[in-house]
Amino acid sequence: MALPPPDPQFVLRGTSAAVHTLHFSCGGQEPGVPTLFSGSENGFIHVWNLKTHRVDTELDGHGRKSVYCVETIGSKNRLLSQGRDQRICLWDLAEGRTSVTDSVFTENVGFCRCSLLKVAEGRWLVAMAAKALEEVQVLELPSKTSVCTLKPEVGAKLGMPMCLKLWQLNCGSQPLLLAGYEDGSVVLWNLSMGKVLSQLVCHQEPVMSLDFDSEKAKGISGSSEKVLSIWSLNEQQNLQVYKTHKLVNAGIADITIRPDKKILATAGWDHRIRIFGWKKLKPLAVLDYHTATVHCVSFSDHKNPSERLLAAGSKDHRISIWSIYTQT
Amino acid sequence: MAVFDTPQEAFGALRPACVQLTRAQTMENVARLQAHLAAVSASALQELQEYVLFPLRFALKVPGPKQERLVQSVVQCISSVLAATCVKKQELLQELFSELCTCLSPPSSSSNPAPLSEELKLAVIQALHTLMHSAYGDVIWSLYQPSALPLLGFAVSLLLGLAEQEKAKQIKISALKCLQVLVLQCDCQEHRHLDEDEAQQCGDLFASFLPGISITLSRVITGDIKQGHKPTVSAIRLFYLIVGLVMADAQLARIAKNKEKLPVEESRISELMVHRGPDWSKSTAEKLSLLLHKMVEFSSVHPHWKVRLELVELVHYLLRNCSQSLVDSFSHLLKALVGLVNDENGEVQSRCKEVLQGIAEQKIVTQNRALVDVLSENLHSLATALPRLMNSQDDMGKVSTLSLLLGYLKLLGPKINIVLNSISHLHRLSKALMQVLELDVTDVKIVEDRRCEGVCGPSGSLQHGVQKGRRQKKYFRFFTEEKIFQLLQQVCRVLGYYGNLYLLVDHFMGLYSESGMYRKQAAMVLNELIVGAAGVGVDVLQEREVSLNMDDLKGSIMSILDEYTDQANWYLITSIDTEEISHEHSVQHSGLTARPGGVCSSVLLPSPEPHVTTRTMNSNIWQICIQLEGIGCFAAVLGKEFRLLLLSALYPVLEKAGDKTLLISETALGTLVDICKACSYDSLQCLINENSDYLVNGISLNLRQLAHQPHASQVLDTMLRHSDASLLPLVEDVIQDVLSALDQSYNNQASTFLRVLHSVMTALVQWFGSSCGEEHQQRQSPKWWSGTLSQGQQVVTRQEVEQFFLDYVRQKQIAEGNLPDTGDEEADEVLPLAEPEPNNSDTEGETPLPSHAQLAKDVMERCIHLLSDGNLRVRLKVLDVLELCVTALHPHGNHLLPMAHRVWPALVTRLISDDPLAVLRAFKVLCTLAQKCGDFLRQRFSKDVLPKLTSSLLSQAPASARAGPVYNHTLAFKLQLAVLQGLGSLCEKLDMGESDLNKVADACLIYLSAKQPMKLQEAAQSVFLHLMHVDPDSTWLLLNEVCCPHQYEPPHISLQPVKLSGMGRQRNEFTDNVLLLLERLQQQESMMRRAGTQEASPP
Repeated sequence: MALPPPDPQFVLRGTSAAVHTLHFSCGGQEPGVPTLFSGSENGFIHVWNLKTHRVDTELDGHGRKSVYCVETIGSKNRLLSQGRDQRICLWDLAEGRTSVTDSVFTENVGFCRCSLLKVAEGRWLVAMAAKALEEVQVLELPSKTSVCTLKPEVGAKLGMPMCLKLWQLNCGSQPLLLAGYEDGSVVLWNLSMGKVLSQLVCHQEPVMSLDFDSEKAKGISGSSEKVLSIWSLNEQQNLQVYKTHKLVNAGIADITIRPDKKILATAGWDHRIRIFGWKKLKPLAVLDYHTATVHCVSFSDHKNPSERLLAAGSKDHRISIWSIYTQT
Repeated sequence: MAVFDTPQEAFGALRPACVQLTRAQTMENVARLQAHLAAVSASALQELQEYVLFPLRFALKVPGPKQERLVQSVVQCISSVLAATCVKKQELLQELFSELCTCLSPPSSSSNPAPLSEELKLAVIQALHTLMHSAYGDVIWSLYQPSALPLLGFAVSLLLGLAEQEKAKQIKISALKCLQVLVLQCDCQEHRHLDEDEAQQCGDLFASFLPGISITLSRVITGDIKQGHKPTVSAIRLFYLIVGLVMADAQLARIAKNKEKLPVEESRISELMVHRGPDWSKSTAEKLSLLLHKMVEFSSVHPHWKVRLELVELVHYLLRNCSQSLVDSFSHLLKALVGLVNDENGEVQSRCKEVLQGIAEQKIVTQNRALVDVLSENLHSLATALPRLMNSQDDMGKVSTLSLLLGYLKLLGPKINIVLNSISHLHRLSKALMQVLELDVTDVKIVEDRRCEGVCGPSGSLQHGVQKGRRQKKYFRFFTEEKIFQLLQQVCRVLGYYGNLYLLVDHFMGLYSESGMYRKQAAMVLNELIVGAAGVGVDVLQEREVSLNMDDLKGSIMSILDEYTDQANWYLITSIDTEEISHEHSVQHSGLTARPGGVCSSVLLPSPEPHVTTRTMNSNIWQICIQLEGIGCFAAVLGKEFRLLLLSALYPVLEKAGDKTLLISETALGTLVDICKACSYDSLQCLINENSDYLVNGISLNLRQLAHQPHASQVLDTMLRHSDASLLPLVEDVIQDVLSALDQSYNNQASTFLRVLHSVMTALVQWFGSSCGEEHQQRQSPKWWSGTLSQGQQVVTRQEVEQFFLDYVRQKQIAEGNLPDTGDEEADEVLPLAEPEPNNSDTEGETPLPSHAQLAKDVMERCIHLLSDGNLRVRLKVLDVLELCVTALHPHGNHLLPMAHRVWPALVTRLISDDPLAVLRAFKVLCTLAQKCGDFLRQRFSKDVLPKLTSSLLSQAPASARAGPVYNHTLAFKLQLAVLQGLGSLCEKLDMGESDLNKVADACLIYLSAKQPMKLQEAAQSVFLHLMHVDPDSTWLLLNEVCCPHQYEPPHISLQPVKLSGMGRQRNEFTDNVLLLLERLQQQESMMRRAGTQEASPP
C-alpha cells in the first residue's frame, strides 16, 4: 500500500472569499521573495509572500466582481487580471506601486479564462472570449491591436467558449489556439487564417478546463461529467481521442500539467485535488483537504525542482499549498 | 625649629659633645650628642657631617667588647645624622656600610649570627636603610661595582639571615625593606630610575645573589603563617622585583653568548660574577619554576588577602618582564591568577581582573605562541580532571576549578579556536561539560505538579509564570550552588563568543543526537553558545577579532530550532496519565485505549510503555524545558529578526504552554514572554493575535492527524487562554475544524476535544459573559416583589383584615380567569411574566445569532451526543462544557430553549441513573439550566427528576442521621449536600407548583433535624429560605406545624381561635432549626412590609 497522501505544507487564509485563480511567480533571478497571486470572488487580488505566508499587497481593480484569471506578463511586476466586470486589467506592481496601467473591455459575460502567450520579446498574445457568444478574440499586448476574431462556421452550434489555450510548437512558429466549448468539443484554431484546423467532441457536457503539452502533442480536458479526456494531435493537425479516464465524482474545475510535463493536477468539484502521472495518466494521489469545491490548481515555477509547489484555491476561502512529487 | 642655622654656631654647640664622646664612649655622651643634634639644622649638619660622624664611628671601631646598648645608641645616632644629611663621598659610604654591617656580624668567625639584642639589629637595619637613602647618584653607584661585590654580598646574606631567622616581625620586615633598597628597587620616589645599561649591570651583579635570595625568600614566603602577612607580602614583593630584574627578557636578550674576559686583577671578583647566558637562564628558570610553584600554591590560599593581592602583582610583574625566560612557570602563575579572579576579597578580585584585562589588552598571551600552548595545555589537563573534580570537590572547590576554566578561556580569547580545532581538546572539554551539567532527575514533584486547569485565569497564570523568574531553577547532580551554574554558563558563552560557531554548534548537536544521556546538557550548552555568540551577557576581557555574522547566527539558530522541535525531541512522554499517554500513542495503541469505560480498563491494562520511570519522565520534562528556554534565548538574540521564525517556532511553544505539566507550561509561558519582548509585541495577546494565521494553520493541519490532535487542541487552548474576544473571528474557522474533527472521531478522541471545547466555552463565557449576566438579573428581580406584597402581616387591624379578604377574592377571580376591567395594577403584575417570551422570539427569530452564540450552540449540539459516552470522565467533562454552553447561550432564549429541550432526556438519564459523581455534576448543570431557562423546565423537572430527588433524599436521611464524622467525606453526603443546596433555588427559579413545593418541603424537613450533620442542616435551612420566597404562607404553616413558639389571638372574637399542631409541643430535634427559620421569616416579612408601605404611600 502506498503512503497516505500528505498534508498541505501550508494553508493560506484570509482571502475571505472563494478563490478562483492562482498564479505563482517564484522563478525570477532577483533576490525577491517567491510570490503567489490569488484572485477571489470578492474582486481582490492578493499578493502572497511565500516566505512569511502572508499577504503583502491587496489589489482591488475589478469593482468587487469576481476575479477569475491572473497571469504575470514577463516579470512579477507586471500583472494581467481578468474579472467578471468584463475587464482585463494590466497592473504595474514595481516598487510597491499598485496601479492599473491599462485595461481591455471584453464585453463577455462568461467565465472563460483568457490565455496568454509570449510570441516575442515584449510581445504577447492574449486570447479571450469575445462579446458575441461563440467568438474568440485574439489581441496583441501591449498594443491591444486585434490579431483575429475566431468565429465558428454558421450552424456549428459549439456554444460559448469555456476554456482557451494559446500555444506554439516552438519559438517563432505559428501560434495556435485550443478552445473548449460548451457542447463538449475541443477545437484547434489557426490564428492567421482564422480557420478551424480540427474539431473533436470530447465530452457530453461543457469543457471546463484543458491543458496541452506541445512536446508530446497531447492534451487533456475535463468537464462537468465524470470523465477526463486525453487527446492527441497528429502531424496532419488532427485531434484524436487518445484515452479517457473515469472519475469517481463528477466535475473538474481546472486542469494543470506541471511545467516539467511529469504530472498533472485536477481541481475537483468533490473538494479534492487529484494528481496523475502525465505519461500514462496513472492516478498518483488524491489530496483531500478542502471543504468545498476546488476552483483552481497551479504549479509553481521554482528554478529548483525540490522547491516546486502546488497550490489549490477553493470555495472554502482557503488556498492550500502542497509539496508533492518534487523528486520525480 | 632648628636653633643653630649656621655651621659655626652648630659647630660650637656640637663640639663639646663630640669631644666628650671621643674621650669616653658612654651612653650618656651619645645621648648628649643626640640631644644637640636635634637642635642643629640640616644644612648646618651637612657641613659638619664627617665631624659628627667621626666620634660615632670611632665608638664603633674601638676594639674590645662593647656594650650592646651603647652600640645601639651609636647606630641610632648615626642614622639620625644620616637621615638629615647626604653622603657625598664614595669612601664614606663604603666605610659606613661595612662598619654598620660589621655591627651585626658575629664577633668571631662563627657562622651563627651574633646573639645580639633585637633592638640593636633593628637599629642597624634602619641605619643601613637610612644610609642607602642618604647616598645619591654616583656615590651609591660605587657600591654596585663588581669590586664591591663581596661587601654587597655580605650585607645581602646578613639581611637574608635576619629576614629568615628572626622571630620579631619588625626586624623581618625591616630587613626585607632594607634588602629591597639594597637591590635598588625601593618603593619610595626619591630614587632615580636605572637606565638600561645600569639595569643590565645590576642584573649581572645580582644574578650572583639570585639563588640565595630566591631560596631564602621562598622559605620566608612559605614559612609559618603565624609570622603575619607583612613579612610575606614584603618577601613576595622583593622576590618578584629581584627575579624580574635578573631574569628580565629585555636583559637576557642582550647578554652575549660567552662570558667577557675581565682584566686580571679583577679575576677573583669575576669568579663571583655570573654570566647570564642561555644555559644559565634555562637552568635558573627551572629552579625558579620549582620555587614559584611552591610559593604560588602556598600563597594563593593564604588566609590574608594582602598576600593574595601581592601574588597577583607578582604574576603581573613577571608576566610583563619575564614572559619568555620564565615561560615554564606560567602554567602555575596563570593558574593562580585566573583562580584569584573569584577571590572572596573584592580588592584582590578587582585587581586581578584589572591585571587580566591588562594582559588581554596588551595581547601578551595572544602574541606569544608559547603562552598559548601553556594555556591550552592547562586547559586540556583541567578539562580532563574536571569530571573527577566535580565529583569529589565541595562546592567551593568547584567554584574555583570552574573559574579557573573560565579564566583560561578568557585569557585565550580569540585563540580559543586553536584549542577547539584540536579534536582531543574539544572532545575533553565537551565531555567535561556534559558530565558537570548533568541534571538531577530524581525529583518526583516535577512530574507530579500539574497545571491547574481553569482555576487561574489567563492573566493570573501568565503573571504567575513571569513572576517565578524567567528561568526555572535547575537541580544538578554534581552541585547545588547557583554560582557554579553561572560559571558554567559563562564558560559556554565565552566559548560561543570567541569560538567558531559552526564548529561548536555542529559538535554539540552531534552530542545532542548521539545519546539521550547528553541531550539535556548539550541543549543547555547550545543555548548558552548562541547567547554568547551574540555577545549577550558575556563577560570577556577583549573584543573578538571578527565580529559576528548575523546570517551565520541565524543559520545556526535555525538548524538548532529544527532539531529541538523535531517530533522525536519534542513529543516526549512526560506523564503516565492514562488519558495523555493514550494520546501520545494513539496511533499504535488506539485499539487498547479506545474502549468504553477507559478509566477502569486502562488501569488494568499494561501501560503502553511499561518501562517509563519517573526518572525518565522527569528527564523528558527537563529536556523540553531546556529546549523551550533555548527558543526564548534565540528570540532574545535575534530580536525582530525572530519574527520570520515564528512561522515554525510559535506553534510548538504554544503547544507546550498548554501542557499539563506545570513546569513545562510555565517555562513555555516564559519563552512566550521572551518572544514578545524580542519581537516587540506589546503583550502575549498581541503576539497570539498577530500570528494567529500561523497558529491556525498549524492547528488545522495537525487536526488532520490523529496523533497530533491533542497537541493541536493544546495550542488552541493556549491561544484562547491568553487572548481576548478579538481573537474569536480569527479562530472561528479552526474551531469549526475542531468540531468536524470531533465528529470524525467521537470514540477515541472525545476527551481531547472536550478539553478544547471546555476552554473555548470558558473563553466565550468570559469574553461575552457580562451580557449574559445582566439580562439574567433583570429577569429575576421583579418577580417576588409583586406576589408577596400584601400578605402575612402579624399585627392586623380590622380594616386590614377586610382589605385582605377583598384582595384574596379578587386574586382568586384573576386566577380563575375573570379579569376585572378596572384592575390595571393587577394586570401589570401578570403581564411581565408572559411578556418576554413573545418579544424575544420576534426579534431573535430573524436576526442571525452572533458568532459566539452560534459556536456555543454548535458545541452544545455535540454535548448532547457525548452525554451518554461510555467513559465517566468524558461524561463529567461534557457536563462541565454543557453548563458553560448554557451560560453562553442564555441571552438567546429561543435558541437555548429548543437546545434545552433536546438536552433534557440525556441529562435526566445522568441525573437518575449514573455514577454519583456524574449525578452531582449533572445536578449542577440542572441548577444552571433552571436559572437560565426558568419555568420552561418546570413541567419536565417535576415529572422526571423531582420524584427521584425527593425519594433519594428521604431514603438517605436515616443513614446520614446515624452517621459519624467520616460520613462527611463520602460521595453520598456530597450528593445530599449538593441536592439540598441546589433544590431551594431550583424551586424558586422554576416557579414550582404547590404540590411540588410540598414534596420538596417534606423531603427537606427531616434534614432540619439536629441529628443530621451540620452542613446538611444548613443546606436544608437554605431550601426553606428559598421556599419562603416562593410561598411564605404555606412555609409558615408547615414550620408551625412542626413547632409553634407563639399563641395566636384571632383579631376578632367572631373568628375561631387558631390551632396549629406544633403548638405546645415538647422541644425536639427540629425545634432549633424551625425557630431559626421562623425568625428569618418574620424578618423577611417585616422588611417586605416596610418596603410595601413605602411603595404604597408615594409623596
